[in-house]
Amino acid sequence: MFDELRAIQREFGYLPADQLQALSGKINVPLSQIHAVASFYPHFHLTPPPKVDCRVCADMTCHLRGGDQLKSGLEAAFRGDQQSLSIRDVSCLGRCDEAPAVMINDVIYSHVSGPQAVSMVQDALAGKPLPEALHHKPRVPVAMDPYNGTGEYAVVRRFLETQNWQDIIAALKASGLRGMGGAGFKTGLKWEIVRNAPGTAKYIVCNADESEPGTIKDRFIMENVPHLVIEGMIMAGLVTGAKEGILYIRHEYEYPKEVLQEELDRCYQHCLLGKNILGSGVAFDLKIFVSPGGYICGEESALLEAIEGKRAEPRNKPPFPGTNGLWNQPTVINNVETFCLATVILARGVDWYKAQGKGGSLGSKFVGISGDVNRPGIFEVPMGISYQELIFQHAGGIIDGKKLLGFAPSGPSSGYLPASMTNLPLDWDAVAKVGSMVGSGAIVVCAEGRCMLDMALNSVRFFRNESCGKCVPCRMGSQKMVEMLKGWTEGRAGEHDLQLLKELSDAMRLSSICGLGQVVPVPIVSVLTHFREVVDDHVLRRRCPAGVCFSESARRA
Amino acid sequence: MSPDGTAGKPVPQVQLTIDGVAVSVPQGTTIFDAARVNGIPIPTLCHQQNENPIGVCRVCVVEAGPKFAASCIRQAEQGMVVKTNTESVVGVRKTLVELLMSDHPSPCARQQHSGDCELERMAEQAGVKQPRFPQKVTPRGKDESSIAIAVDHEACILCERCIRGCDDIRHNMVLARRGKGYQAGIAFDNNLPMGSSSCVSCGECMVSCPTGALTNRAVVGTKLTGQAVPPEALLGLPIFKNVSGTFLELNSHAVVERRFRAGDIICREGDFGATAFYIVEGKVDVYLSSPIAHVKTQDSGQGFLSKLKSLLAPRAHDRRTEEVDRPFIPIDASVDLPYDNPIAELGPGELFGEMTCMSYYPRSATVRAKTDCTMLEMLRNVLDIMQRNKNFREQLDRTYRKRALDSHLRSVPVLASLTPEFINHLREHVELVRFAPGQVICRQGEPGDSFYLVRLGFVKVSEHRPGGDMVLAYLARGGYFGEIALLGGIARTATCTALDHVEVVRIPGEDFQLMLDKFPAIRQKLEAAAAERIEANRQRAMQVANVPVEQFLNQGLMEAQSLLILDLERCTRCDQCVRACADAHDGVSRLIREGLRFDKYLVATSCRQCRDPLCMVGCPVGSIRRRNSLEVIIEDWCIGCSQCANNCPYGNINMHPFPVEQDDPTYPGRRIASVKVKATSCDLCLDHEEPSCVYACPHDAAHRVNPPEFFAGLLKQRSSGMKG
Repeated sequence: MFDELRAIQREFGYLPADQLQALSGKINVPLSQIHAVASFYPHFHLTPPPKVDCRVCADMTCHLRGGDQLKSGLEAAFRGDQQSLSIRDVSCLGRCDEAPAVMINDVIYSHVSGPQAVSMVQDALAGKPLPEALHHKPRVPVAMDPYNGTGEYAVVRRFLETQNWQDIIAALKASGLRGMGGAGFKTGLKWEIVRNAPGTAKYIVCNADESEPGTIKDRFIMENVPHLVIEGMIMAGLVTGAKEGILYIRHEYEYPKEVLQEELDRCYQHCLLGKNILGSGVAFDLKIFVSPGGYICGEESALLEAIEGKRAEPRNKPPFPGTNGLWNQPTVINNVETFCLATVILARGVDWYKAQGKGGSLGSKFVGISGDVNRPGIFEVPMGISYQELIFQHAGGIIDGKKLLGFAPSGPSSGYLPASMTNLPLDWDAVAKVGSMVGSGAIVVCAEGRCMLDMALNSVRFFRNESCGKCVPCRMGSQKMVEMLKGWTEGRAGEHDLQLLKELSDAMRLSSICGLGQVVPVPIVSVLTHFREVVDDHVLRRRCPAGVCFSESARRA
Repeated sequence: MSPDGTAGKPVPQVQLTIDGVAVSVPQGTTIFDAARVNGIPIPTLCHQQNENPIGVCRVCVVEAGPKFAASCIRQAEQGMVVKTNTESVVGVRKTLVELLMSDHPSPCARQQHSGDCELERMAEQAGVKQPRFPQKVTPRGKDESSIAIAVDHEACILCERCIRGCDDIRHNMVLARRGKGYQAGIAFDNNLPMGSSSCVSCGECMVSCPTGALTNRAVVGTKLTGQAVPPEALLGLPIFKNVSGTFLELNSHAVVERRFRAGDIICREGDFGATAFYIVEGKVDVYLSSPIAHVKTQDSGQGFLSKLKSLLAPRAHDRRTEEVDRPFIPIDASVDLPYDNPIAELGPGELFGEMTCMSYYPRSATVRAKTDCTMLEMLRNVLDIMQRNKNFREQLDRTYRKRALDSHLRSVPVLASLTPEFINHLREHVELVRFAPGQVICRQGEPGDSFYLVRLGFVKVSEHRPGGDMVLAYLARGGYFGEIALLGGIARTATCTALDHVEVVRIPGEDFQLMLDKFPAIRQKLEAAAAERIEANRQRAMQVANVPVEQFLNQGLMEAQSLLILDLERCTRCDQCVRACADAHDGVSRLIREGLRFDKYLVATSCRQCRDPLCMVGCPVGSIRRRNSLEVIIEDWCIGCSQCANNCPYGNINMHPFPVEQDDPTYPGRRIASVKVKATSCDLCLDHEEPSCVYACPHDAAHRVNPPEFFAGLLKQRSSGMKG
């Protein structure tokens, strides 16, 4: 259905009602269902878009790096121009290393200054062509790549000689590799479940819907070592018996998609994909599925729903995708980095991989560091390295020589930790012990002078915006939580708000269908835990020590 | 599973504990249902028994092991420890209700009109008064474009009950979710106003809605006579608990209060009707005023020129072949009537006239107020919604187990020897299961796991044959099926389909086996009956296999023991035969000189033995059925409603009038002379040497023949011809 909808949108610029009606007859799907799907995804417009659709990223890193000011600057510059221009927020565009990011008529520009944004919008309104977005960058060598960027697919070649899948699963289990999308499920076990699950067909799905604020490592991996991701997926297919793989990529990632497509074409040319891989008689096909948009699509069961052409609403679990995944068949669904690391482990060996870690932690990992640091970017680092080292050495320390206030180890879902905890190692168990998580390694850094309550509000607002709305705790709870926190930053805290917030957090954590709803309270709960004084200042004394809240600009949104 | 494995393929059970109680449920049962059947209610907003669970309101969350689970959709697992009522669960539930209430336009339209908004009731029960969460800022709007249904998006809690009602139940596919997150809502078609959408105003969404998001705008329809009852008053009755108040409001004309004084006749057997009665207060007598006897034709004893005489004979005086020796007469109520004294009493909480109401069958019995009574008389739409209502079902179920199971079991001759102890055992184990018209209850070839007794409606028993399905029987109340597979440990030998609104009593395979073990006499009887059924089926199958001429089959000639045929080459159409028949049968001819033809013969048999004996559908007292020879037999308790005669496409069933004495409707207690009718079919003048028609034919065109012999030559010729 998405292809049909995209075709209509390409022709008309939006989805006119009569076209949807005609589509309903053509594909024999009730109009109500088509509308249900089309109205769910931000990618589709049900009304004609304005001439210039300018959207400014408002989440976490861009919030820290001036996204708000950029937006208010634009609004001030184009006040009254309601007809042909719309200036709106947009959820994280995955350019946190080059914040702030702006999207004008579906083209993303990063590192945009206020004046640049204004002049681009002026040009767009005047019908002048906009500068080409510069995403094509030379490839960066990746140290762990066993092939030095050449894509030899040695793991696949070796496997096809013996086809001994038990060895592969044993190696993955021995390596301790976990899912790198955030949840950290053991990869070897997942593949084994799918291998052993009965099913008429099995699927391998790569989750490249990287959409959480601060998370940029998958983009880096896809752009620089696409062959490792694809080889990981082929291996998953060969090991589990799946014949079809789908790489689900967010639609904003056009460049990584091009890179991956090139690599896929190359694989087909060299018979590494297709009906008869390297003459072995084994088949595995792989294609790219472009997401119609939304952070919720990164939730694995919602992602599968999206592939099936439905609203990306997470499924009730159990059953899990391992046994009841895509089209209700056993499905391996792993993150980009997981497939990449699986290839590295299988190519270089378990021992090599384990030895990459420091201080008892195993392996290495990609992290994205963004926010108030001098050198934001993606780094390939050993597990066990301290956050101190990550922030102050890899990312070049805090901007303007400021002090560190706090950091999120993995975007809004991990909540915020105080500066005093930078000694923590990048280690699953160590970070979990303090109530946070290594997650997807989306380290977002806040310098002194930031208001942590404001940061919590920003994070919760992101979740509110991205809630699918299926279940009551998340749909209602995220909205009410945003309203409550807004109240706190505007001097409207209720007497029993802290108690109420606790009750709400419990209800959301315990009763939401999926991870999104469950983590909505995490940012504010972490701020209450580690920055309680800041909250008390706002709620009890009605003042913001950082001078961020209680102001006109903070009242927006 | 039963020790000998004869119970087919039983569903494995899982054991779990719910609130400390150890329970066992079939695999695949949700926690919600496991708790429900064990008497532990779990609150919910988005789940309804007639819709697939989706687990979105989360109000039904329970602690299932270390984590919380939405009980409506999560399946019970072996060893699971479920807690439905911990402080934490109750707290979460309350928060969820409070969240919803903070956006709810209280009192919503439903609460205002009928006082039954499920959310507001739940909030009250949970002690949520003034929601502490910030109130909603952006309005979602109302939609009053439909003439029938008012839409208030403000009151919508996105439980999707309306969507499932529209899409899954009615297949209208008009409703769906729209948008995402906090902005999500329901939309008609392409988010059109309801009135401009493809909505057909069936109302399913409205009666599914738990809140005031979808309520009725107009009251349409005609009224029953009687006192209209306000929805609030109805909702106060336990049986209406949880019925949508909006529905009751919309259907205020369809349920009325009726008061009767002692002695008043409430309905009469054989009358047409479309309502069911629920007794609120008082007692009634249910009885048959027709004589309990069948039509017997007798020689008047005046020698050769005598006429036949029709009279009424009870089974004690005139025993016929294969007559059912049933001690009870099934009627359209929760009780059966004893054959010897066909009267029973019904009291408060009981329902009668369900089949008349749901399937428009004639009234099966006369009901007279024994004391002053208050009744609710309801039309089909009300009864239908009640039948889907948990509380009402539970009450019916309870009443049935308590009052009727006993007599129902005993009314089945083969089960008559069950001891009270065992019936008590069954009371706990049987299940009342409803089926909609057309629904298959069990399918030929599948393993059998249960034994069924028909409580309500008609079940078609058919066997799949290469040439098409053959209807073996229509079973009414008192009929049973499913024993052959259980007795023999074999697959189902026939398909049983609900013909109309059917309710069956399901006895699980294990209990059936237990019964056989405990009561060898019952096993014997059942085995004998089953053997007979199997043999009859086998013979029919053989005949089908041996007789290739489809037309012959279609006409049902093959199985008749005796046929009346008219040689059309000799027949001058003088109609002497018809007159003779009428003369012989008190002026009522049972012969129509029309009919199906085979070769040069017109066949006028007593019964066509149709593949699908339509005559047997709809008898409100189950007094017509097939003999093994496939001819029909009309039992003594025929009430003369003419349903079978009207149904028979060949006019082979006649209504025979008789003078009888009956209650004087004007003066209760007095008897007056009146005319009653009884159904009867051609009896081939069995008491005469020759049927009157044969005897009367002046052209020797009418003959009584044995079909296989008579047609043998003809058939052989035909089939070889066909082969050639």
